[in-house]
This record gives sequence, C-alpha cells and structure tokens, in this order.
Amino acid sequence: MSRSPSALLLAGAIAALIDSGSYAQGVDIGEKVFRKCKACHAVGDGAKNRVGPHLNDIFGRKAGTVDGFKYSKAMTAAGENGLEWDAQSIGRFVAKPRDAIRGTKMAFAGMEKEEDRASLIAYLKTFSGRGAGRQPEKKKAAVAAEKPTANPAIATGAEGKKELAKNAEVPGHGTFHLGRVALDEEITAWDIDIRPDGAGLPDGRGTVSLGESIYTERCAACHGDFGDGRDRWPALAGGQGSLMKERPEKTIGSYWPYLSTVYDYIRRAMPFGDARSLTDDEVYALTAYVLYLNDIVTEEDFELSSENFTALHLPNEDAFIPDDRAQEGHYANRNEPCMNDCIPGKAKVTMRARVLDVTPDSETVEGTDTIE
Amino acid sequence: MWCVIGEPMGKRKKGDGRPHLDDRKSLSRRRLLTGAASAGAALSTAALTHSQARAAADPAITEIQDWNRYLGDGVDERPYGLPSEFEKHVVRRDVSWLTADPKSSVNFTPLHELEGIITPNGLCFERHHGGIAEIDPAKHRLMINGLVDTPLVFTMEDIMRFPRHNRIYFLECAANSGMEWRGAQLNGCQFTHGMVHNVMYTGVRLSDVLKEAGLQSTAKWLLPEGADAAAMTRSIPLKKGLDDCLIAFKMNGEALRPEQGYPLRLVVPGWEGNMWIKWLRRIEVGDEPWHQREETSKYTDLLANGKARRFTWTMDVKSVITNPSPQAPITHGRGQTVLTGLAWSGYGKIARVDVTIDGGRNWQRARLDGPSFSKSVHRFYHDFYWDGSPLFLQSRAIDDAGNVQPTKAELRTARGQNSIYHNNGIQTWHVREDGSAENVEIS
Repeated sequence: MSRSPSALLLAGAIAALIDSGSYAQGVDIGEKVFRKCKACHAVGDGAKNRVGPHLNDIFGRKAGTVDGFKYSKAMTAAGENGLEWDAQSIGRFVAKPRDAIRGTKMAFAGMEKEEDRASLIAYLKTFSGRGAGRQPEKKKAAVAAEKPTANPAIATGAEGKKELAKNAEVPGHGTFHLGRVALDEEITAWDIDIRPDGAGLPDGRGTVSLGESIYTERCAACHGDFGDGRDRWPALAGGQGSLMKERPEKTIGSYWPYLSTVYDYIRRAMPFGDARSLTDDEVYALTAYVLYLNDIVTEEDFELSSENFTALHLPNEDAFIPDDRAQEGHYANRNEPCMNDCIPGKAKVTMRARVLDVTPDSETVEGTDTIE
Repeated sequence: MWCVIGEPMGKRKKGDGRPHLDDRKSLSRRRLLTGAASAGAALSTAALTHSQARAAADPAITEIQDWNRYLGDGVDERPYGLPSEFEKHVVRRDVSWLTADPKSSVNFTPLHELEGIITPNGLCFERHHGGIAEIDPAKHRLMINGLVDTPLVFTMEDIMRFPRHNRIYFLECAANSGMEWRGAQLNGCQFTHGMVHNVMYTGVRLSDVLKEAGLQSTAKWLLPEGADAAAMTRSIPLKKGLDDCLIAFKMNGEALRPEQGYPLRLVVPGWEGNMWIKWLRRIEVGDEPWHQREETSKYTDLLANGKARRFTWTMDVKSVITNPSPQAPITHGRGQTVLTGLAWSGYGKIARVDVTIDGGRNWQRARLDGPSFSKSVHRFYHDFYWDGSPLFLQSRAIDDAGNVQPTKAELRTARGQNSIYHNNGIQTWHVREDGSAENVEIS
C-alpha cells in the first residue's frame, strides 16, 4: 500500500518515542487511549472477539483474518489485496476508519490526535509477537517487585514523624466525631444525580441535530444507527405497544417512565467504557436525539434545555405501580400447605431444559424420556 | 548425596508418574458431561460392592502413595492458601449468551459443590455493570450529602472507627432464576439459582454514619452511589437504612473482594442484590426517590397486563435442592442417599422446608441443620433410601412470617412470563433410573 505523508509522520513519531526512551510512557498513555476502543475490542490474555475482533498479534497480520470474526466485505477484500497491519496501516485506519477502508463496519469516527494514535500503536504492540497477550514489560517488573510485606500504610506511619496522640484534632460534629466537612466543590464533583422533578439538572442545552452527530460517533457502534441496538446491546427506540406481547421490547420510548433517568444515566455511565467524558450540553443534545429516535420530538432543530426539560414526558410513565406481591393469592391466602395426596395421578414431564441446549458446556446426551 | 538442602521439592515431584490434574480433567464435569454412561457404570460397581466383598485388594490401600512417602510443600509455598488442585472445577461460571459484554454481566455460584451456609469469598457470584473497580483504599472516600446538617467526607480509617457489627446475610440478585420464567431452560442449579451467596459481613451501622452528619426532618430517601464505571445508584427508603443496613468492609473475616465492592459496600439485608451498592463512595439524603436507571428500565417487574411493578425490594421466600441436581447426579446406585439444599427469605428466618420425591404428590419435612439467622440461607437435608426408581424432586420453603414458596404455575398465573425478576417458584429436578438429573417442569 502507498504511504501517505501522515503515515510517514506517524512512523517517525513512533520511532522517536522508542528512541527517546519514553516508549514505556507511550504504552501507558496508549493504555488510556485504548479505553475508547475497549467497548468493542479486547486485548491480552484470553481476549475474544466482541463487537470487533480481538487485537492480539495484530502486527504483521493480514487484514480481515481473525478466526471466527465476521468482517465487512470491504475489510476482507483489503486483506486479500495485500493490506497487512503495521504501525503505518493501523495509524492510517484508526485516524479515519471509513475513509481508509470504505465499507468497514467499524463505527468509530476516528482518532484525530497523532500522539494518541502513536501511543495506541505502542500499546497494541505489547500484545503482538513474543510476549503477546501479556502485560507491558514495565508492569510485569512492577508486579514482580511487589513482595508481600507488612501493611505499607503502617510501615510509612512508623517512619514518619511522630505526632502525639493527645494533639490530634477532634472535629465537633456528630456523636463519634468522625470524618470532616465536605467542601462545596467536592459535593459538586460527585453529586450529579437528576430527579424526575428536574432537581439536579445542570444549566445547558443541546439540539437534536448536534445530538445526532455525537450519537453517530460515540453511541452507534453499540446502540445501532437508529437506536435499534446491535447484537445484545440495548435498543433505545422502538417497541412501543409491545409490552403485552410475548416478547416485549423495553426501550426508552416504550418502557422508561422518566426522561430524567436518560439524562442522569448518559451523564454518569455513558459511553460505555468512557464514562464522564461528555459535557452537560452534549448530554442535553444526546437526550434530545433519543427523544427524536422515539418520535417524541420530531423537529431536527428541537433544542432540549434545563428550561423545557420537565415539560417533556415519556409515554409509559403511568404504567408503573407499587409492589403488591403480598396481595397475590398464593401469599394472601395463608393456607397450610398440603402434605399428602396433594395432586392426583403420577407426575408427568411437560418441559425439559435439555431441549433448548443452552446450558454452558453441555453436550447433548440422549435421554430416554419423551416430552409429554 | 541424596538430598540437597534447598532443592525444590516441587521439581522432584514433577514427572514422578503421579497424575496431575491436567491429565485427569475435572471429575464432576466429566460426570456431568458423560451423564448416563458413567452413572450407569457407577451403578453396576456400586451394586457389586454392596452385595459382596472386593475380588482384588484396593491399590489405594496396598500401594504406598507419593503423598505418604515424599515431603510436601513447606509453609512458605502458599502464603494465601488455595483449594486443592482436585477442586479446580469448583468455580463461578457464566452464561455468555445472556449479556452483550463481560464487563456488564453476571456469573454464578456453584451451589451444588458447597455445603453449610457460608459461601467462600472466591465463589460468590459476580454481577457488575461497568467491570470491577480496582480501588486503592487510601484514595477511597465516602461522602454523605443532601438533607443533612453537616455534609461529611470519611476516609477508610474514619469508617473503621465506628462501632463494628458482624451479621450473616444472603444476597440474591433479583434476576436469579429469571431465565426460567418461560419454562425449564438451564440444566444445573448453578445456573438456575446460583445468583445467591451468603456471607458474614463486618461493618458499621449505616444509621451511625448518617446520624454523624445529622439527618434533617424532611429526609425520607437515600441514594447510595458506587465509584465504578457505572456509578451504580439505587433509591432506598431511609426507614430501611436506619433499620438494619450496614456499611461493610470485611466478608467472611477478610477484606471485601474487589468484585464484591472493595473497599466498601452497602449491605441491605433481605433486599435485591442490586441495591447492595459496591465500591460505595457516596450516600445522598433526599425527600423523594430518584428513579435511577436500575429501578426504572431494569429491576421493575413487567406484568401480563402491561403494567410494571416498581420498588419490589424484598426477596421472597425461596429454596432449591442443590444435590442431587443436573450437575450433581446420583452416582452410587440405589441405597442410602443424601438430599440437600438451601432455603432463604428476605422476610426473616426459614421456619420449615418440605421436600417431595414424587413431584408434589406427598411431602415430608426436611431436617434443617446449621445456624439459623434472619435473612440468611438455611441448610436442609432429607436422608432417604433410594430404591432406584425415577424421582421428581422439589423443595418448598416457609418463612417465619408465614410466607409459603409458590409454584411456578402460581407465579405465572399472577404475573405472566415477562417479569424477569423475583422468580421464587418451586424447582423440579427429574432423577432418572441411571441417577442423572434434569431441570424439568411437570404436571
């Protein structure tokens, strides 16, 4: 394949990294950068194919050839045409996957920063060739050096300067006088929960169309282009009217009672593997886009904000009821259970687990019984 | 010079002809996999030994075994002890098709390999929503904020200076047995019932910690939050928090395992496992529930009429026979047989367990054995002579609040088949004439 100028630059950057001795540092940064990839790709001991193929031994591998992974036609063809993964080709692909290989099913939008790509490649390299699937060398050394010793906290305490116990400060609050007062900025940093009445909503705003572009880059790889959910990842839209069917589809539009939960959850835990990386405005935009995917708002220029948030309601809000299990007949009647001759006739099998063959590691063993 | 000081004993032992585990594979798995054939072989051997003396002397007795001749490992070989290599098959296992990703998934406790009431720490089932948070306790903080007089931050050292309490409680995932709503599906109590464990926790009272910050008069709800990548949250009524909740830092005497929330987890006795927030870093006090993701989109129970129950916190009275079961067939042939299992209830102690071997036609009281604590599992036994005819085994627990474990049919009539959570219906194992067992439903 032809080497683009940026690929050469990247190769230079990696060479510089290795020469300067900051390779190990690059690997460390690369491990952090890899978090963006982790939702779909695995590396290391026992890495398996997930949404994307595992990346062990990627260096020197023909593109599209990991056993058991179903590639796009484009990726398989690229391999057949001679694409082999090395620092240059990985760098080029990761920079803008869909430009590098048109038709790839990798939904990742691209990694703009050259330093990030270089670090990522350095990190991936530790899982290729000899020692593949192991932790970077530096880490292994650190683990080996860790001999079991006495509790380190106690060890340092003994070496530190000696404070007289009677001089220790005892706070005034409470019964046991334990802990210290939390600072406002500490509470702000952690207290990010939102309630249905809007309590906790931050100032901010975001439109459906902005939400769509963020969604395409950060969310579609798992949740699907239209919120339909890939593989077993959750669907976000559709399923309205399905709750009484044999296979209900529980989505934000069909099941969730409150929009505040959507905002709260995206902000605290999404994207999967890169939580807390979205700004408040981006979360507003994504929440607006989820409403749009569910036809709850229909205009692409609709803007969701802290001002209009509580005016929006999800369709299934009223379907939730309190716990009334105690009123069910089998709990409410309090009859003494039957001990003898409770059911006439002999027991007959009506359903067997073996039929489905879904138990891990089970081998089909022919039974003598038939299903009645 | 036949013995060099310092020569590692392990080296000499290797290649000494003694079979290592790798050659042998796991005993119980082989039993499980080959099912009928090996059970049948066991049956005929057993019949032989029952009726007459052995023809040839047992080499396990007449030959001197390696462990009887050579020295074993010294005390420094195993600074943290592990089970015998012959118990290698006793592990948590997952069902990979259940979830999209192992970082947000579940595995199951091998109930059929355990006895008594305590679950060993390494076998407590795991359920994470964002993988295991690996937390340096020196960097861990617990914050109390919201409707309190003084919002506070505690270090681990602070927490451990509150008065400590030791309690044994079961923790059951609300989705335990959830795969069985539509009918018998998974073949083994590890998979049908293995999302429960029972542990002695050491911790401090949640009420002591909350009161330290001073609760305001409008306080009614708590929102505990985890420090993991899912920042797990659940709304809990303050009343429960003040009643019996603990903030735990030890399980079965040692530090919590990372997968169980090291360094701190909430203990919410008798209630859904999902509420026992792991890696606990914050508790907010409020006047209304927050309706978080794990109490709206999940952990709500969809009924046949399209309505869904929410805040179904208490885990109902439940039991399961752990042996015999599909992963633990009867291999000894007819004769004296131990039937055993576990029973538990989120409402209190287990008052009684009934057992049937004929599919619910006739029941007998099982023998409860071992310590009996409120909201802890109880061990039951039924010792009987098996005549070799097919069995339909069931157990039925009754708690000291008078709740009787319902049948699966009763639950389906009341709720339909789409509830996912809170399936505490009576389980049936079919034991065949060859001793193998299967998860079935019967009429």
